[in-house]
Amino acid sequence: MIRLRIEGVTRVLRRLRDRARRFFERRGSLRARKAGLRVAFFAPALLLLVLFVGYPVLATIGVSFFDANGHFVGFANYGNVLGSPDTINLNGFPKPPPYGTLINNAIWIAIHLPLSVFLGMWLALVLQEVRGAVWVKTAIFIGMVTPLVIGGIMMLYVFDGAVGIVPRFFDSIGIHALGNGWLQRPTTLLFGLIFGSVWLWTGFSLIVYSAGLTTIPKEYWEAAKIDGASTLRTFTHVTFPLLKPMTIVVVTMSILWELKIFDLVFGATSPNGGVGGAADVLAMQMYREAFVQFDSGAAAAIATFLSLLTLVATLFTIRYMVKR
Amino acid sequence: MADTGSSEGASGRSTEEYRPPSGRWKLLIAIVAVLVVTNFVTGLTAYYLAQSPAATVPLCAGGGGVRSSAAPSTSNGPSSVAAAGASPPVFTFHFEPPYHTTQATITVSPWAGAEFEGFRPVLENFTAKTGIPVTYENLRQEQLTQILPAQFASGQTPGDVIFMVSSFIKANPQHIIKETSNISDSAFIPGSLDPVKVGSDVYGGVYTGKVKPGFWYRKSFFNAHNLTVPTTYADFKALLVTISKIKGIRTPIVSGDSVGWPLSDIVEHFIATYGGASMHRALTNGTKHWTDPDVRAIFTDRLVPLLAGGCFSEPLEWNTVALTNWWHGLHALYFMGSWITGLVDNTTDLGVFSLPPPTGTSTGIVFAGDYFFIPKYTTHLTEAQQLFGYLASKDGQTIQVEQGGHIATALGVPLSDYPAVDRGVAQLMNGVQILSDLDDTIGGQFQTNFWSQLQLLWVSPGQLDAVLASIQSKMPAS
Repeated sequence: MIRLRIEGVTRVLRRLRDRARRFFERRGSLRARKAGLRVAFFAPALLLLVLFVGYPVLATIGVSFFDANGHFVGFANYGNVLGSPDTINLNGFPKPPPYGTLINNAIWIAIHLPLSVFLGMWLALVLQEVRGAVWVKTAIFIGMVTPLVIGGIMMLYVFDGAVGIVPRFFDSIGIHALGNGWLQRPTTLLFGLIFGSVWLWTGFSLIVYSAGLTTIPKEYWEAAKIDGASTLRTFTHVTFPLLKPMTIVVVTMSILWELKIFDLVFGATSPNGGVGGAADVLAMQMYREAFVQFDSGAAAAIATFLSLLTLVATLFTIRYMVKR
Repeated sequence: MADTGSSEGASGRSTEEYRPPSGRWKLLIAIVAVLVVTNFVTGLTAYYLAQSPAATVPLCAGGGGVRSSAAPSTSNGPSSVAAAGASPPVFTFHFEPPYHTTQATITVSPWAGAEFEGFRPVLENFTAKTGIPVTYENLRQEQLTQILPAQFASGQTPGDVIFMVSSFIKANPQHIIKETSNISDSAFIPGSLDPVKVGSDVYGGVYTGKVKPGFWYRKSFFNAHNLTVPTTYADFKALLVTISKIKGIRTPIVSGDSVGWPLSDIVEHFIATYGGASMHRALTNGTKHWTDPDVRAIFTDRLVPLLAGGCFSEPLEWNTVALTNWWHGLHALYFMGSWITGLVDNTTDLGVFSLPPPTGTSTGIVFAGDYFFIPKYTTHLTEAQQLFGYLASKDGQTIQVEQGGHIATALGVPLSDYPAVDRGVAQLMNGVQILSDLDDTIGGQFQTNFWSQLQLLWVSPGQLDAVLASIQSKMPAS
């Protein structure tokens, strides 16, 4: 039944293509006809991109130059956002949190990125050619398919002072300072969420690296072994370099994820980023400006700033891919 | 030859039967190593970042409360709709009248579960009286906050009568039907309509409300341990010390939490009692600052010593962990609004007392009305106006208060219609001034920041000055 339907759709598409071709063949030179045909096929996708990506992006940038009352304010929203202690709050550092949303995003990248990338890579290597590894990989990947807001709610219980497994573990081994609710304390809140999110995200790097490892010919490892290379040397000189494309993808995607992080923090804390705003992030700040303060200008400024940050990370990947 | 052949055969067989080593032990060791290493790294990082415990002698020594940092120096030196909290997912309910004469009216409110069961008879009665079918939709305040601006901007509305915090109604009169000619102050508890007025125009109605009367306790627990309701602040502190010494008690008071609003209710009660109704109103209006010495004194003299002394638990999910722990005797007191009567098994065992007021202060009690409005984009204006009038009327509210957990704002609802426990709550309102919920009235970023800063104060009372400064920094410019 499904096959019949697919064939039907294919037939209709073919017929459309032939009609378009005949239409253009009746008019102009071959080159013009080809160009026209390209435009005809490209136009629908372009139209959708312009409507649903281009216009919203430009509109957001435009809105960021207006205040909540619709008055043009130039770059004032950007100045206010970047100068706000909600964004960067390092006065009197070293000091307890909050440090501000931008700093929190940076901390998130600094801890979460290496942990999730290398943990995923290491697990992929360890689980290579191990019988039953697929079950372990599936179990780890469950974190990846769990909605992050659910992950956030799970964090509430994992780090709860009374029933949470993490505080109970530390209490039982005598580290009583960590035996309290982690999400109730500004000093542990952000780190609890970051470590929790490592579990949620490691599945991604594990799967990408596992797929990457299957593309490396076994002869390379065998040759290295015959040449007497140690396991570490084989890894640093053979495996890791050959996994570079995967590493680029995993690192880029992880940075994008870490910059845009919202639902996990929202589910685990409050609209203000938890205790004293200690886990506040840029996307939460944008949400508050838009839906709590109803200041679309400030929200658009944060959105644009966030997009610029993600753009830098994305350019890195695009440049690498273009070079290849 | 035979040997060779046999050897080749064996070799061939062994090649066919060859399986890579299972590596099961390697796998197990790897998993254990991952767990140990990640937990170790996590622990070490967090350990060095964790704050040192308090150096002060805890007031409630028997308890295992917060006590995470020392209290600051004393002053001798220099709801709400949010109360609905975590409710189940969106659901709808349709009330069919015996006959169809008009189109359905949609009411949107944050009540679900037991709270909705108390609201259902009101809507059913309305439908029976008017023949107007009502479709009920449950949307939480957080959801409405996101949905309403977008829908209003495009001339749409998710409902014809919508329950929402007063700060939203006040901030969006351009999208709301003016009700000045349909509703009168004189029919309600004085001041009830103030939060939905813009100038002299009224943009919403007030339904029943909830009182945040004070500390709830189980009478059976108090009787079993010969405890009595305090009449002075010294009595109150002595009560906490006594409770903390009872076997099985974790902390005398359990702190409910969700996004922070239960803590704000406690703080408002301390302010309305020891700063008086006037201070509460001044803070709401922005004519007084949170950093003023007399405001700070409420914290340093009353609340912070209790927090630093371990009398309060750390904030726990209000309607699951906190409620259960309190009901099962792990804590003796629970500060919560009057809706708690709808959440416990046995309301006859419930008792409540307000903080003992100092002599000579005109104290107040926070009354959080449930406000509603009709958006301009309704397609059933006539029916919506009828429902609006019914919800604001004595008739509609009488049915609601009979279900328990609600206090009427419409005048004329007889005390005899209240369940016994609510009658007690209503009586606590005698002789005190009625105050609007402070953070609901101010709204905006003040509210969310207020909540998160109080969460911080609860675990780090030593950061009082930073907390007060942060709260003040988010006060809207008046």
